[in-house]
Amino acid sequence: MGDMANEIKLLSGNSHPSLAKAVADRLGIEIAKTMSLNYSNQETSVTVGESVRDEDVFILQSTAPNNINDGVMELLIMIHACRTASARRITAVIPNFPYARQDKKDKSRAPISAKLMANMLVTAGCNHVITMDLHASQIQGFFNVPVDNLYAEPSVLRWIRENFTDEDIVIVSPDAGGAKRATSIADRLDRGFALIHKERPRPNVVGRMVLVGDVKDKVAILVDDMADTCGTLAKAAQVLQDNGAKEVVAIVTHGILSGDAINILNNSCLSRIVVTNTVPLGDKQDQCKKLRVIDVSPTIAEAIRRTHNGESVSFLFTHAPV
Amino acid sequence: MVRNIVILGGNSHPKLVDSVCSILSIPPCQRILSSFSVGESRCEIKDSVRGKDVYIIQSGGGKVNDHFMELCIMISACKTGSAKRVTAVLPLFPYSRQPDIPYNKAGAPLSKQPSSVPNGSYTFDSVPATPAPGIPKSAGLANGNGLDGLSKRLKGATIAEAPASTPPVINGGDTYFKKVEEVESTPTQAPSIVRAFTTHDYEKQPFKNFQAKPGYKQWVAQAGTLVADLLTCSGADHIITLDLHDPQYQGFFDVPVDNLYGRPLLKMYIQQNIPNYKDAVVVSPDAGGAKRATAIADSLNMDFALIHKERRPTKITDRQNATMMLVGDVSGRVCVLVDDLADTSNTITRAAKLLKKEGATMVYALVTHGVLSGDAISRINASAIDKLVVTNSVPQDEHRRMCPKLEVLDIAPAFAESIRRVHHGESISVLFQYE
Repeated sequence: MGDMANEIKLLSGNSHPSLAKAVADRLGIEIAKTMSLNYSNQETSVTVGESVRDEDVFILQSTAPNNINDGVMELLIMIHACRTASARRITAVIPNFPYARQDKKDKSRAPISAKLMANMLVTAGCNHVITMDLHASQIQGFFNVPVDNLYAEPSVLRWIRENFTDEDIVIVSPDAGGAKRATSIADRLDRGFALIHKERPRPNVVGRMVLVGDVKDKVAILVDDMADTCGTLAKAAQVLQDNGAKEVVAIVTHGILSGDAINILNNSCLSRIVVTNTVPLGDKQDQCKKLRVIDVSPTIAEAIRRTHNGESVSFLFTHAPV
Repeated sequence: MVRNIVILGGNSHPKLVDSVCSILSIPPCQRILSSFSVGESRCEIKDSVRGKDVYIIQSGGGKVNDHFMELCIMISACKTGSAKRVTAVLPLFPYSRQPDIPYNKAGAPLSKQPSSVPNGSYTFDSVPATPAPGIPKSAGLANGNGLDGLSKRLKGATIAEAPASTPPVINGGDTYFKKVEEVESTPTQAPSIVRAFTTHDYEKQPFKNFQAKPGYKQWVAQAGTLVADLLTCSGADHIITLDLHDPQYQGFFDVPVDNLYGRPLLKMYIQQNIPNYKDAVVVSPDAGGAKRATAIADSLNMDFALIHKERRPTKITDRQNATMMLVGDVSGRVCVLVDDLADTSNTITRAAKLLKKEGATMVYALVTHGVLSGDAISRINASAIDKLVVTNSVPQDEHRRMCPKLEVLDIAPAFAESIRRVHHGESISVLFQYE
C-alpha cells in the first residue's frame, strides 16, 4: 500500500446496529457517522458524515426479517455513496446473505435472485464481500469479486463442548442438503451422525420425514444453516423424539425466525434453540425462553482486521477468536 | 392483438397493468409475485417468455424499495427465462427526485416530522410558520395551543435572545441551535414520531444529534446513477418512463430511455375543463419547473407566472424559512399551477396560498405524479387549491376517496401506445409532439 496508512471505516446499516457496535468495540474503533432514513414517500436516504476518501470501508448490513428489501437498498446506496466519495476499497459485510435460498433455477423462469444480489452489489461498487455460512457456498461463484465465506462452525463447536461435556450426543442434519455441515461437526467432535430426509412440496411447507441413523437415548443436536419459519426444525425434533432421543437441541447459524416461528418453537419438543447473532433477534429472546445466542462478532471483527491488514482469513475457518 | 409480446405487471399498480393490457387486447402474463415469510420477494413467471418481447410495468410509489427489488427480480427472471428483450416500464421512476434534494447550509436534507393536527384545524403553512414581515401568524401561534404554540413561543424567545448574546453572528447561531435542541428533547414532544422526513420541507433536521465530523461537510448519497445501474445490471434492455424529474436522468443509463410526457394530457385538461382558459395564468411553483410550465403556457398561448422560493436565510435565525415571491400578475384571474411531482405537496399548497393572497380567483394544480405521501391529502384538503389534477402513474384510488378535490387523468393509453410502437419498432416521437 501507499505511504499514507489508510484506516478501517466501519459503516453500519440500520438492520443490525448491535452487531455493528460489537464488531466496532472488538476492533477498538468507532462506527463511522452515517445516517440513513426514509423519506415520507418511503425512498431511502443515506447521509455520510465523515470523509471516506482513500479509506478501507467496511459496511455491515444484515437482513432484518420483513425489511429485507429496505435493507438491501440501504446497503446498495451506502456502497454507492462510499464509491462516489472515493473510498479506496469497499467491503460489504453481510453476515446473512439476502436471497441466498433463491440460488438456482429450480423451475422454469424462476429467478436466481442470489445472483441478482451479487450483480447488484458489484454494480453498486462493492470490491469485496464478507459473509457467513452461505446457504450454498456456490454463491461465491456468482461474484466477480472476492467473497470470504466465514463459518460459524468453530463458535458452534465451542458452544457444544462447553455445554455438553459427558452426554452421549449425536449430530443430526434436518435435511440431506445440510449433511456435509453436520458431518463436519460430528467428525470434529468425534461423535455419531444421523440424517433426516424430508420431502418439501412447496416453499415454507414441510412434508413427510424419515430418520436415517440411531438417536436412541442420546442428546440429538440438530444442525442447520438457517431457521426461518422453523417448520422443519419442529418436525425434525418431533421425529427425533419419536425415535427415542433423550433431548433435542437445535443449533442454527442464521436465526431468521420469521412468521410464526416463535410460537412453533415454544410448542416444539426442542429443549434449546441456539442461534448466532448474524440476524437481529429483537425481543425474540424474551418471547422464547429456549433461545440461546452465540456471539459471532469476534469472528467478523477478526475477518475485517485480517482483510484490512492483508493477512490470511483461513485461520478463522477452523478457529473462533476468544 | 399484438403478437409475441408479454406484459408483466408488478404489484405496485395492478389497475394500470389491466388497462394497458385491455387496450392492447392481450392478457397480462400469469405470475406469482409475493414474498416469503422472511420478507424476501418471491417471483415466478407462469407463462413462457422465450423469445418474447417482455414489458414489465412497475411504478415507484408505495413501498418503493420492495417494488424496485421486485422489478429487478422480474427483469432478471425474464432474462434467465430467455426473453428476447426486456423493457422496464416505470410510470413513476423511483428515486428520481433525489438528485436535486435541497441542501441547507450544512448540506443536510431538511426535514419535517409528520404533524398530527386533525383535519379541521389543519394549517397547510409550514410549522413553525414563516416569520416573514407581513405574513399573518398561523393559528398555532395565535391560539397559543398545544405543542406548536409552545415550541413557537420558545423559538420566539430564542430569536429575541439571539441578538442579545454579544459578539457576532456565529455565537448567536450556536445559542439558537442549542436552544432548539432543548426544545426537541423535552418529554412533551409527541411520541408518535415516524422515522420519515420529506425533501421539500424546511423545518427540523431529522436527527438533531447527527453531526458530521468536525471539518467534514456531510453529504447526502444520491441514488440516481445507482438505480439506473441496478436496472441495467438486472438485464433491462430498454426503459419507458413518464415525466422524469430531471431530463438529464436519461444520461445515467447505457440503454435507451423513452421519457414520455404528461404534458399533452395536462394540456387537454386545461383546454377542456377550464372555462376561458386563455385568460388563465400558468404558474410554476418553483424555478426548476419553469421550463415545464412555460412549454404549456406557450403552446396554449396563455400567460405565465413564476413563484420563486427564496431559500437564502435573511438572518441566521431564519435559516429554516423559505419565503416565496410571485413574479407575474395573477390578480382576478384563474391560476393553473403546473408541476411534475407532488409528494408532501408542501410546494403547491404554499404556492396556492400565495396565489390566493395575490388575488387569484381560482387555483388549479396540475401535477403529473401525485405521490401524495405523508399528510399530503389533509394538507391539500385544507389548502387554497380548488382542484388537483394528477395522472394515475401511481395508484390514486385511495387518494381519490380521501380527497374530493382530486381528479385523475388516465395515462394507460399513452403507455399502451408507446409499448405498441416500441414493440413494432415504430417511432414514438409522435407521442412527444404535444403541439
